Amino acid sequence: MGDLSNIFLNSVFVGNILLAYFLGMCSFVAVSKNIDTAIGLGFAVIFVLTITTPVNWLIYHFLLAPGALSWAGFPDMDLSYLKLVMFIVVIATMVQVIEMMIDRFSAALYSSLGVFLPLIAVNCAILGTSLFMVERNHTFLESTVFGFGSGVGWMLAIVLMAAIRMKLRYADVPKGLEGYGITMIVTGLMAMAFMLFSGITL
Amino acid sequence: MKMIQKIFDSQRKHFEEKGKFRMLHPLFEATETFFFFPGILIKNSPFVRDNLDMKRFMSFVILALIPPSVFGIYNTGWQSCKATGMSLDFSTVFFQGALIVLPLVMVSYAVGFFWEILFASLRKHPISEGFLVTGLLFPLTLPPSVPLWQAAVGISFGVVIGKEVFGGTGRNIFNPALTGRAFLFFAYPTKMSGDSVWVAAGSFAKEAVDAVSSATPLAFSNLAVAGDNIESVLEKVGFTVTKLFLGGYPGSIGGTSALCCLVGAIILVLAGVASYRIIAGGILGVYITGLVLNLFAGPQANPWMALPPFYHLIMGGFAFGIAYMATDPVSAPGMDHVKWIYGFAIGTLTVLIRVFNPAYPEGVMMAILFMNLFSPLLDHIEIKFKLKNRILNV
Repeated sequence: MGDLSNIFLNSVFVGNILLAYFLGMCSFVAVSKNIDTAIGLGFAVIFVLTITTPVNWLIYHFLLAPGALSWAGFPDMDLSYLKLVMFIVVIATMVQVIEMMIDRFSAALYSSLGVFLPLIAVNCAILGTSLFMVERNHTFLESTVFGFGSGVGWMLAIVLMAAIRMKLRYADVPKGLEGYGITMIVTGLMAMAFMLFSGITL
Repeated sequence: MKMIQKIFDSQRKHFEEKGKFRMLHPLFEATETFFFFPGILIKNSPFVRDNLDMKRFMSFVILALIPPSVFGIYNTGWQSCKATGMSLDFSTVFFQGALIVLPLVMVSYAVGFFWEILFASLRKHPISEGFLVTGLLFPLTLPPSVPLWQAAVGISFGVVIGKEVFGGTGRNIFNPALTGRAFLFFAYPTKMSGDSVWVAAGSFAKEAVDAVSSATPLAFSNLAVAGDNIESVLEKVGFTVTKLFLGGYPGSIGGTSALCCLVGAIILVLAGVASYRIIAGGILGVYITGLVLNLFAGPQANPWMALPPFYHLIMGGFAFGIAYMATDPVSAPGMDHVKWIYGFAIGTLTVLIRVFNPAYPEGVMMAILFMNLFSPLLDHIEIKFKLKNRILNV
């Protein structure tokens, strides 16, 4: 239990997928103009991550890892070179499901997320979490918590960013830095503030 | 007074729209309002609903910064004289302290004003008095032995990236002085932390400063191993509660004396500049977190857990941070209720970092920066909440 909560806190604060690894920047920069949209996308990312990470764990450990196919009589088989392709396929499928669900239940959110909803499929935070999960040898339960925690961390970052950008509407940013420029600077400063947690070992 | 007024009136035409020095109009304006009350109303936050204008507002902060600055000069001098074996009489000590601290303050002001005037002239916004505060706060948070060029780099980062890219005072997200200090902390860690930076001994006597004579109370506390009692560890090297409260120990220039920071905080609160909610919230945060950690203390546990909470209040930079940095009206939340949460979280995070994060001996700088990040969101939440509970006009 302690292990799981450590993995959760670690993925939200210490190793925040966005502010420590800088994954998932594109939708973070593009969809953080409004808090409500940011919260919507944040939940979508949490949902996708919480499902894809354990599903990818199952696929990796029962189909792809070296020796994983021994249950089917192929103990020497090593399909791990397929993991990138398989992970992307799983993610794309999940995103498709979510897209249909959001379209059905919240048309307003669907239209405000626009193209960034299908683009979750290529959000590097999602694929990155699956790849980290393999690299860190998580168990099934740990990978679920890790996926959920990474999603919460990503959502925390984008909601904070959206609130800051609301305040920035009153700022007087030099012409060349308006829009993405100042957003990248703020992201850098946010990452510096998140270094508060670096050095804590959980 | 009449004569000064005349000088300004006669020179004004050169600085107006068509004058030959129109680029320098902000400089002219800043000098003029230094002497005379301006006739215009400001358009940028921080707004103060009072007959103070921003210049007077910032003057109160400067006034409140005098006790820690003067004590900082004295203490820096005392530590330096002690380490190098010079005599410890008052005038020598004070002179030695001034020799170390004043160049830092001057570099900070000069470099900071250079950026401020450059941006004000090019972007045609008025020079902000806020810089008078930033330029003094920044050197007070530094270790006394920091090289002058690093102070210049730090204040440049703080003013340009921390403030000017957002359009100047009142629009920034993070406290500029702390942004600059955090930048230095990560860019030049060997000069900003460790045991040998907290006493400025000059190059002629580097070897005189051994690790023990220059370590801060927080560093000593980190030496304690499981089973030790931090209070007695501190007592053994001469850091009694009174000494910690008065501030006669090595540390950042202005941040050692809890007493001076308390005086400053009282001035700020009485003048209506700082929010008592943030300060009280911060103290409560430290106290409650300390007490909760005390519950988990045991002979095998981290000795920090057993430390009585008031030690956290008087050791290190917490008092300085909560009095002058956390209460910065620009980067703190503007709504009243969330100020309590903001202050409380700063206190809690400071204690947690001191206790659990081995990478940083001191946590208050990063805790304030981290909460600056949350203040727009906290404001947004309180506004949402208020709007929801509002009785609609029928």
